[in-house]
Amino acid sequence: MNRTRNVLVGAGLFALLVGLGFGQSALQKSAAAQAKGAVQAPRFEVDPMWPKPLPNHWVYGNVIGVGVDSRDHVYIIHRGAGSLEPKEIYATTNPPSSECCVPAPPVVEFDADGTFVRAWGGPGQGYEWPESNHGITPDLKGNLFIGGNGGNDGHVLKFTTDGKFVKQFGFAYASAGSNDMYAFNKVAKVSLDEAVNEAYVSDGYGNHRVAVMDMDTGKIKRYWGAYGNKPDDTPLGNYNPEAPLAQQFRNPVHCAEPSKDGFVYVCDRPNDRIQVFTKDGKFVKETQVAKTTRGDGSVWDIAFSKDAAQKYFYLADGANEKIHVFDRASLTYLTSFGDGGRQPGQFYAVHSIATDSKGNVYTTETYRGQRLQKFVYKGLAAVTKPNQGTVWPTKTSTH
Amino acid sequence: MQPKRHLLMGTGLVTLLAVLGVAQYLLQQSAAAQAKGAVQAPRFEVDPLWPKPLPNHWLLGSTIGVSVDAQDHVWIIHRSSATLNNNERGAELDPPTGECCKGAPPVLEFDQAGNLLRHWGGPGQGYEWPQSNHGITIDYKGNVWIGGNGADDGQVLKFTQDGTFIKQFGMEWGGAGSNDTWAFGQVAKIFVDKGANEAYIADGYRNHRVAVIDADSGQFKRMWGAYGNKPDDTNIGRYNPDAPPAQQFRNPVHCAELSTDGFVYVCDRVNDRIQVFTKDGKFVKEQFVAKRSLADGSVWDIAFSKDPQQKYLYLADGRNQKVHLIERQTLQVLTSFGDGGRQPSEFFGAHSIASDSKGNIYITETYEGKRVQKFVYKGIGPVTKENQGVVWPSRTSSHED
Repeated sequence: MNRTRNVLVGAGLFALLVGLGFGQSALQKSAAAQAKGAVQAPRFEVDPMWPKPLPNHWVYGNVIGVGVDSRDHVYIIHRGAGSLEPKEIYATTNPPSSECCVPAPPVVEFDADGTFVRAWGGPGQGYEWPESNHGITPDLKGNLFIGGNGGNDGHVLKFTTDGKFVKQFGFAYASAGSNDMYAFNKVAKVSLDEAVNEAYVSDGYGNHRVAVMDMDTGKIKRYWGAYGNKPDDTPLGNYNPEAPLAQQFRNPVHCAEPSKDGFVYVCDRPNDRIQVFTKDGKFVKETQVAKTTRGDGSVWDIAFSKDAAQKYFYLADGANEKIHVFDRASLTYLTSFGDGGRQPGQFYAVHSIATDSKGNVYTTETYRGQRLQKFVYKGLAAVTKPNQGTVWPTKTSTH
Repeated sequence: MQPKRHLLMGTGLVTLLAVLGVAQYLLQQSAAAQAKGAVQAPRFEVDPLWPKPLPNHWLLGSTIGVSVDAQDHVWIIHRSSATLNNNERGAELDPPTGECCKGAPPVLEFDQAGNLLRHWGGPGQGYEWPQSNHGITIDYKGNVWIGGNGADDGQVLKFTQDGTFIKQFGMEWGGAGSNDTWAFGQVAKIFVDKGANEAYIADGYRNHRVAVIDADSGQFKRMWGAYGNKPDDTNIGRYNPDAPPAQQFRNPVHCAELSTDGFVYVCDRVNDRIQVFTKDGKFVKEQFVAKRSLADGSVWDIAFSKDPQQKYLYLADGRNQKVHLIERQTLQVLTSFGDGGRQPSEFFGAHSIASDSKGNIYITETYEGKRVQKFVYKGIGPVTKENQGVVWPSRTSSHED
């Protein structure tokens, strides 16, 4: 038996050495392609075993927010039991009618290795937990900002990363319109410009604006609609790719990301477009993405690459089930990866996206996708395909 | 840049050699543990990258059957668009709302590497495709058998591997009861006995029996209910783990698998039990598994290990979302793996199970699981945990290059 094993091990080693030779050849080819000036873009591979399994037979509901803090800890927020079927949370009945499973608490934190750190969230003293939480963003001081798009959600919550309530902005009474100065209407996400202590509120599923507030006091400082217009809540009807471009955001306004060089990138989701503004809300430019996309729209969430220049941004498209990679300055589409499905690297409603300090990308899926996935940054590579499909690591052995 | 790469590779090689040394040591330890007489059971690791992604933006619907043929090709059947939500099948709406996605054809064949080979299925001339297909079995001649549990499904279909229709047994008329000899009542799965050329029908979602027919003519040969009783369709209400064991199968009768030594293992799913019979339907014994499981039950599907003795049986439990590894002779549960969730080796509705000639197993998920997963056989090892949870391969590198 041992002799057979040794022979197999020897054969494996030989295969590995051959593999290293090929790897070398591939590296040289890649260098050659660079020399020819091919278009370069960041390359990613899904890590099918990240994060580690949750304890306690916990499962996720719709995962509708992800953020990475300064230690590369990853935070997600999900909707729990309200987005799970009774038959996947049987262990919540009394008595439990099976071992599997229980919804995890809505906020879950992982370290960079994917190890579960803690979970918390839900109603408590002194604040109104959203009817339907939506979006999660860590700041540099150890706090998290949480929005909500339930029927009455007009507020944003701030907690410490270990779940201690800090402050509520707005309130659970979603009648504020797009020109209201005191509350929001179904906030999708909060993004931070910490140098000036400002929070950009994607407002949202009820309102049609970007609102900027003071990160501590919550005072609304300014706001704007599409093209920098005064926001207007008049219903626009369904998006029609043949019609002239809408002069207002459609619901939901799904992200508003300030870049380091002073621009704000807004996800105008059902309008299939990114609009770029100055921090004061002056319209700069826009681009449409997969503009024949109807219904849910293509522009769900944006994360910037982690180089100092934020040379790229990554756009989560939960209708076409892929991540579009863009050159940020020119808004040029470079490539995309992903496809529909339940396997690693595939998506069912890829909803939220974030990057860590090493350039890795994290995505979450809502609807019945209900996952968090990690895509490992593999450096820049020549673009060979407009759509890479599922990006898997190469198999290291045949087992 | 290049010298650094070489240096990294050199480091990797040293690491690899160290790992090989450790692996050798572990093997020796494992042998030592065996000598001490610890309980042994097959070990598995999920292959998170099997099968390969489908072409054409195709999606699987509820995946409710799997079988492995003589070439170790893996066949699945799934419910496609009928079980997909509009917000994931935008490419087949009118007008399309996006490029993703559409339902794949119901029958799919994969090779060992996970490449998609043939794909077919759906309504056609000369047969009644089930309203809700259920179960797929490749018989010893290479033919493909399909059941169905839609409201009116009372038939079983037989096709060639190319999807050419061969024969229909029973008919699309869900009125046959558990003592009818001309049709079935929502068939879950079929097993074909090479020796006698007989098909065992797990019948089913409306009937309460195992039915045996001639695999070519379809001639009805015999049938039986729980404990070998005459099957009876009287509604016996919900399963209660504290009540005396039911004298009839509950719906669905979800598998009926013949072992090489001539016993029929029946999945009495909602009753949380396996019942064992002779080929003539004489009751031999039974075993409850996770018997506190209510509603859709714990005993969903069975595959035997591929050693000549079929020493083990693997039980898919779509309620507790795991696979129980059972010693076949004693029906004792040795260990289990799996848990609920969407990651590799997790399940939502672990529904069907099959094994290949190398001992690997394949599991499909229904409900919103909608996957087929492969678990690679890693040899026999000592049992250290009652429930292993997810069974992931160990990482071979940190992916940080």
